[in-house]
This record gives sequence, C-alpha cells and structure tokens, in this order.
Amino acid sequence: MAWLTLAPLARGWRIATFGGLAVALGMAIVVARISNAASYLTDAPETCMNCHVMTDAYASWQRGSHGHVAVCIDCHVPHSNPVAKNAFKAQDGLRHSWVYLTRQEPQVFRLSKGAVPVVQGNCLRCHADQIAMVRLAASSERPCWDCHSNIHGEARSLSASSQTLRPQLPATGLPWMKR
Amino acid sequence: MSDSAPARSTPRWVGPALFILVAAVVALLGLLATSLQERNAEAQRPSLVLQPIAEWEPDNAKWGANYPREYESYARTALDTTKTKFGGAFPRDYLDEFPQLVVLFAGYGFSKDYLQARGHAHAIEDATNTKRIKVPVNAGTCWTCKSTDVPRMMAKIGVKEFYAANWHDLKKDITHPIGCQDCHDPATMRLRITRPALREAFQAMGRDIDKATHQEMRSLVCAQCHVEYYFKTDPAEGKKNYLTFPWANGTTVEAMLEYYDAMDFADWTHAVSKTPIIKAQHPDYEVYSTGIHAYRGVSCADCHMPYRTEGGVKFTDHHVRSPLLNIANSCAVCHRWSENDIKTRVEAIQTKVANARKATETAVVQAHFDVAAAMEAGATDDELAPARKLLRHAQFRWDYVAANNGMGFHSPQECTRILGEAANEAQQVRILIARLLATKGKTAAPSHPDWSTRDKAWAAVQAFVKGQPPKMLP
Repeated sequence: MAWLTLAPLARGWRIATFGGLAVALGMAIVVARISNAASYLTDAPETCMNCHVMTDAYASWQRGSHGHVAVCIDCHVPHSNPVAKNAFKAQDGLRHSWVYLTRQEPQVFRLSKGAVPVVQGNCLRCHADQIAMVRLAASSERPCWDCHSNIHGEARSLSASSQTLRPQLPATGLPWMKR
Repeated sequence: MSDSAPARSTPRWVGPALFILVAAVVALLGLLATSLQERNAEAQRPSLVLQPIAEWEPDNAKWGANYPREYESYARTALDTTKTKFGGAFPRDYLDEFPQLVVLFAGYGFSKDYLQARGHAHAIEDATNTKRIKVPVNAGTCWTCKSTDVPRMMAKIGVKEFYAANWHDLKKDITHPIGCQDCHDPATMRLRITRPALREAFQAMGRDIDKATHQEMRSLVCAQCHVEYYFKTDPAEGKKNYLTFPWANGTTVEAMLEYYDAMDFADWTHAVSKTPIIKAQHPDYEVYSTGIHAYRGVSCADCHMPYRTEGGVKFTDHHVRSPLLNIANSCAVCHRWSENDIKTRVEAIQTKVANARKATETAVVQAHFDVAAAMEAGATDDELAPARKLLRHAQFRWDYVAANNGMGFHSPQECTRILGEAANEAQQVRILIARLLATKGKTAAPSHPDWSTRDKAWAAVQAFVKGQPPKMLP
C-alpha cells in the first residue's frame, strides 16, 4: 500500500515521479483525444477511417452491395460471443495501429490468414438460409468472395476509389487550438 | 512493509529509476501523439508547385522539383538489373540467346548487335552505344524516341528538318533521356501528344487524337513510341526519313502488310534469300489493342505504372517496368489471387508463346536457306517471286510478335494466331522450293549451314554477305 503513495521514496523523487505521472496522464488524454480512442468502443464504420489508409475500403463498401445492410465489424470480427469479438477487435486493432504508425501498410490490402475464416463465417451467419443446400458452404477451398466480389468493388488498392467517392476526413488536431 | 517504514529502507536507485521510467512513458506518449498527428495531417496536405516549368523544358530534374514522388520513381527506371522469365531491364544479349536471329536479320544491323532495352533513363546512352547506328551518317529520326529534347528541337528546326538531319549532328542537342516532357504539358500536367507521327497516324486512319479520353491517353502517350513504324522518303512530299506509322489501313498485322506491299516497302534485302524484308519494330500498342486488357479499358499505365498512395497522396508510380516485378500493386488490384499464382499463370501463357515463336523461327530460317539453295540450282528471280513474297510475309508476321515486349502476354491469342500463320507461310515456302528444285532435277534435301550458335550463324551469314554462299546441294 505504501507504494501507491510512493511513501518509501525520498521526498524529491516522490514529487518528481508524481509530476511525471501527471504529465503522462495529460499526454494520455491528448493521445486518446487525437486518436479518437472512444470511437473504438463503438461499432461505427467511421471508426475504421480514423486511419486514412482505410478510406478506400470505406468508400468501396459504402457503394457496394453491403453498404446499407452491414458495417465493417459485422464481417471483419467474429460474433460467436462477446469475448471472442472484443479480443479479436483488440488484437487486430493493435496490429493495425502498429502498421499505420510505422508506415508499413501495403498498397493493396488482403485478408490476413486469421481473418479469412472469420469473414467466411460471417458470410454464412447471415446467408445461411440461402446456401443450406449448397455444398461449397461447408468447403474451405473457395471463400464466398472469390466470386461475389461486389462488396468492396472489383479493383482494390489504397488508390482505387476516386476522390469524389472518398468521404471527407475530419480535420486533424484539437479543434479549439485552431482558433 | 508498513506505512510507517522509514524511507531510507528503500534502495537509493529506486527513486531515480522510477522517475526515468515515467519520463520514458511520457516520451513514448509524445512520440505516439506526434506520429498520429503527422499521419492524420498528411492526407490533407495540398500539392505545391514550387517552380513553374517552361514549355519544352527537357530537364527531368526541374520537373522533379515540383513532383518529387513522380520524379523519384521515374529515376528508378535507371535500375538495370531486374529480370523476369522473358524480360526485365537488364541488357540481355538476344543474339547469344537466340542465334537464329543472326540468320533472320542477315545483312541488317540487328544481326550484329541486339540487346534487350534498358529503362527509359538509359535511352540516350543505349542508342549511342549500339552498333546499329551507322557512321558517319545515320537518320536523325532515330533520336525521336530517345529524348525529352526532341519536341524542343522539332519546334526549333522543324519536324521534316529534324528527321532529315544527320544523327551525329543532332547529338550535341540531345542530352536528356525519355522523361516528363514526352507525355506531360508543363503548365497543367495533362497528358499530351508531343510526337507528330502518332497524330499523323490517327489522321491517316480518319480519327482525331484530340478527342481521346484521359484513360485512352494513358495508353496513347506510350503509343508515341511503342509502335510499328518506318522511315518514309518521298521527294515529292519533301520527306526524308520521315517517321511514319503504317496504320492507314488499320493496326492489325494484315493491314500493315497490305500497306507495305502496296508501296513495295523493304527495310533491307535479306543476305541469304535476297528477299525484300520489312523489319517489324515493337508494335506493343497495336498488339495490346487486340488483347483482353484493352477490351476491358485497362491502359498501359494501369499495369506498368500503377497508382500508389503514400502519405495519403495518390500518385502514379513512374518507375515504368514489367508488372511481373510489381505484381502485388499492379495485377493484384483486380486479380485477387496470390502473387505466386499470378506469376505462374502469366509465365505459363508466355512460355506457350515462346515455344510457338521458337518453332516459327526455325521454319523461317530454313525457308531462307531453302530459297538460297534454289538460287544455287539456278532458279530465276521470277521463279522465286511467289516464295519470296510468302517468306517476306512470314518474317514480318513472326517479327511482329517477336519484336513485341511481353512475350505475347499483351494479347496471347493474337500472338499465337500470327505465329501460326507465319510458320504456315514459311512451310509453304519450303514446299514451293522443293517443287522448284525437283523441276531442276534436284531431289535431295539441301544441307543448310550450321546456325546453332551465334558465332556459327554469323560465319554462315557472312559467307552470303560476301557473295560466297556455301554449297548446299549435292
């Protein structure tokens, strides 16, 4: 308990550490604000656009066949139970943050190995009644989107959608600082 | 440890260590915040033109000051080590690899020196070094597709005068390799046609190139050079070595043959068979136009210069190269298979064309030697005329495919169709010659000289060039 108040430390170090922690807390609040952290707790598709490399995915989804019936996480995270959902979301989200902040994104996105069964499972989750009689539904050989390519459009790359179809990105930084 | 424990029971280093730890956390959070801000702001950065570019500015680096991403990618066309199964940008020596070419081009420059072209950045250097350039006089026309200085010089001295000039006289003014100015308007960056030959070819076909859409222009700027052409000399029109595309009847191989036959055009007379031959250049645009990608409205630039997004800014990758060196960003945008699957598929298509090409080459080489054998037996030019006409067509058809970049991939079916016709024509030549020889009492098959290596093929061909053909009939 004593360590909660840093009582064992000498007075000078105690003040300095608490001061540092206060700065860290402040920075954390700034980071939470500029990274739009609260949005990650929601299911809104705009959350994925927090990183601008996703604008093409957003624009093509919005105009695609699923633009009015399903959002990003309906397909891209598992829905078997809340734990699986949030764990996958956290894991994928952290990996994406790392790739984005270290500028490692490829020009053309592909589903990762782990994501393929998740998305395929979600196709079946909604379309199960339509494909109950189709043998391919149980096959892992060909995923649905090999043929049904109209969800994100035919061409996919960071540059694929035209500027007019891209959503306006929110202004960067803290709005009150701009005045 | 209780609340009342004295502070000095803690080791002395704990305080500083804890402080440094907290400071490190603050620093990392700061870095994270900066990085986030930078990445979010980059998508909203406008493009700036720092230095207006003059009309006909030939220096690519000056354009690059305003368009650094495009310029840096363009500069990578200097890379000359890339290899694909059939192409790439390294100076592959075709004559070493395919000794039959020494025979097929007998009596012509390509029999001496024929290297795979390197990237655009090497255009001037490679054209200067090739042994195909004649000394002391060579057509100025050969510079047309080598340099950004060409439109400037054409504006200065006149188009006809540029073509008619001596290559060696123009050399001092031609210093910047193919680059920005060849395709772009310096004021607006819009694509534009800077070479008169393409504009004139469109006029000859009754089409207006100024009505081309932007997507069509993304192929047409390439078509200024990557096409079949010849040098037209017609004193009545005041034309000497005037760069002309044989497109008046259309851009298919048949339309071009009809065009060339009507004017009795020949680039040279074949040293072995004395056949008037048309050298096909590199009809990349014409062949591409017959393929599935053209049918679907995919332009040259879509595969050879795919779009990139860096820092939220979309731009065209100006490192013009084989898509096989950049599969993930070119093919895979539409074809959602693994890179390896795509590569395997492309190479399988190319291998089929390569095999058909090799079989055709053997037939055409044999046809040349057969005609020479008939000459040895005393056949007259009149008697040989039908065979020579077939042979001329066979060779042009073969070269139309062989001189193409991409080993047939730009239009695989059209290429195999043309190679099939060329092989058929070459075999028809051989039948005609066999019958002709029979009428002269020669029934044994002529024994052709050995052309299995470059040196042997060269020696065989030189004997014909010097007018001392080897004896091929018993």
